[in-house]
Amino acid sequence: MIYGDIGMDTASLAGTLESKLAAIRDAGFAQVMIAAGDVVGHPQGAAAGVRVVRESGLCVTGLEALRDFEGLSGNSHAYKVDVAKSMLDVCFNLGGNMLIVEASTSRHANPDDEAIVRDLRMLAMLAVPLGIRIAYKGVARSRIAKDFCAASEFVFRANCHNLGLAIDAFDVIAARVPLVELEALDPEQIFLVQLSDFVWQEIDSAEERAVTASHLRVFPGDGAHSDDLAIVVRKLDEIDYRGGYSFDVYNDDYQQMPPEKVTARARRAAEWLAEAVLRRALPVPDMERLRPGRGAPDTTGD
Amino acid sequence: MTNVLGREAVSEPLNPLGIDGIEFIEFATSKPQALGAVLETMGFRPVARHRSREVELWRQGSMNIVVNSQSIDVPRTVQPSEHPILSAFALRVRDAEAAFHRALQLGAWDIPVRAHAMELNIPAIHGAGESLIYFVDRYDDFSIYDIDFRPIPSVDPHPPAISGMHFFGIVQYIGSDRTADWVEFYSRIFGFIALPDRVRFGIMPEGLLLQSPCRKFFLQLIEPVDNARYAFGDEHLQRIGLGTPDVMATVAALESRGVQFLVSEKVKSSERGALTKPQLGGVMFELVHDEPAYHDAKQ
Repeated sequence: MIYGDIGMDTASLAGTLESKLAAIRDAGFAQVMIAAGDVVGHPQGAAAGVRVVRESGLCVTGLEALRDFEGLSGNSHAYKVDVAKSMLDVCFNLGGNMLIVEASTSRHANPDDEAIVRDLRMLAMLAVPLGIRIAYKGVARSRIAKDFCAASEFVFRANCHNLGLAIDAFDVIAARVPLVELEALDPEQIFLVQLSDFVWQEIDSAEERAVTASHLRVFPGDGAHSDDLAIVVRKLDEIDYRGGYSFDVYNDDYQQMPPEKVTARARRAAEWLAEAVLRRALPVPDMERLRPGRGAPDTTGD
Repeated sequence: MTNVLGREAVSEPLNPLGIDGIEFIEFATSKPQALGAVLETMGFRPVARHRSREVELWRQGSMNIVVNSQSIDVPRTVQPSEHPILSAFALRVRDAEAAFHRALQLGAWDIPVRAHAMELNIPAIHGAGESLIYFVDRYDDFSIYDIDFRPIPSVDPHPPAISGMHFFGIVQYIGSDRTADWVEFYSRIFGFIALPDRVRFGIMPEGLLLQSPCRKFFLQLIEPVDNARYAFGDEHLQRIGLGTPDVMATVAALESRGVQFLVSEKVKSSERGALTKPQLGGVMFELVHDEPAYHDAKQ
């Protein structure tokens, strides 16, 4: 049994959408973060992909990821608004209530603060009628927001109830962001925390960090930074963060392993997180820390 | 997170779209005659029919109600069914196209042009649940109904209102913890103002009241009382509020026409307001004590 507020990403697994969801469910997870490509790339079309997810019995944490949205102008802005609307539609149809938005890495993005705030407000407004929250995530390669500290500045200034942060613990550890920065955040502003570890002891350059982030992540407990991760998670618990955790693990090796082998590792990571780090007792059936998606099943796995 | 009501004032004009009240409220139903019977008891009269679509215009005093039985092929819009559903409301604005484009820039979803029931080029955006919000700027000498509607012969096109009834507002049911989202939607796009809790009208005290920037009507946002699970389908426009200077006289006049009012421990007709019994699976009207001149005087 895995706590309902700990989920994993379809992006971490190889195979078809059906086999990914089955492996995640069979490992005992109740929550899944859907990579948009897994749904819209379904061989029978996006509608079939949506149906597969809805029939899986898994609760959809959200959809990832809208990229390079903010800071554009003219036709490129209009184009990205259409992309955003399309992703919001998919997220809505999946029954998810969160869209992960990664800070833009486009060199065409205007880093002007006012433009970024305006675009994030617009995105949040687009999400309101659909009941979707926008989780804005700092990205190391971004010119707009390299980490959660920078992302939180924009979230604060945009000042929309349904706009918050997704924090990638990998970035916190790899970039050695002081944990005191987490204390500056309003816990209600943090919508999701993504967890992963990596095998290298140190990451010295931005290039190495980018490669590691994209290809060499491992599940918490499999890497060299379990202690650091535990400290981050405990700090989040300490500041009263009550949102969910999702394993956001991109790894070339995992892409060559059967999904059930990978989800077994994810399960071990979930148990480590709940028992060793958060020191929880066994889940109680009606425990509900992460708001479920529309029409979602109970939040505890079995 | 900071409560939206406590946020700093936005340096926008108080009424950025030039909103000037509600032009019409729309029901969608596949049984327009059944709904028509309900509207008739409430004092509305059918005054016009659409030339080519299954759409009727009902009127009473300053109030227009559009009854739409035409399906449209647009996602997230109401499909007419046996149970009438409040499917849209139309705002009178200074410049409909300008209002529409401003709304889109701020993050509203547009509806494909000419997909609407009215077949007119009335710009519209998505609202709560499956409802739409139209922008109308022709409402004085030359109205939107003059083009595509055919008056019903030998019917007074301007039937008077019973006891001075007028549109007072619309009640919107929303999901748990969604009040701040909808306050942002209505305040940023339209300039609505959230009223403090102490300001209350009628006999239904729940939720949060938003006043239109023209001060002519209100939206009332109501979250589920029992912390029920969030479900998208639960968000919808639930009922129309009708203002009247004398609630009990209006109740008496409507009862004589066959309208029944709710009487329970929590809800009963009084000088403050009254609530009709739901009909046809949920069609309700709320009477609220209101002097329209009061709103006008505040402009």
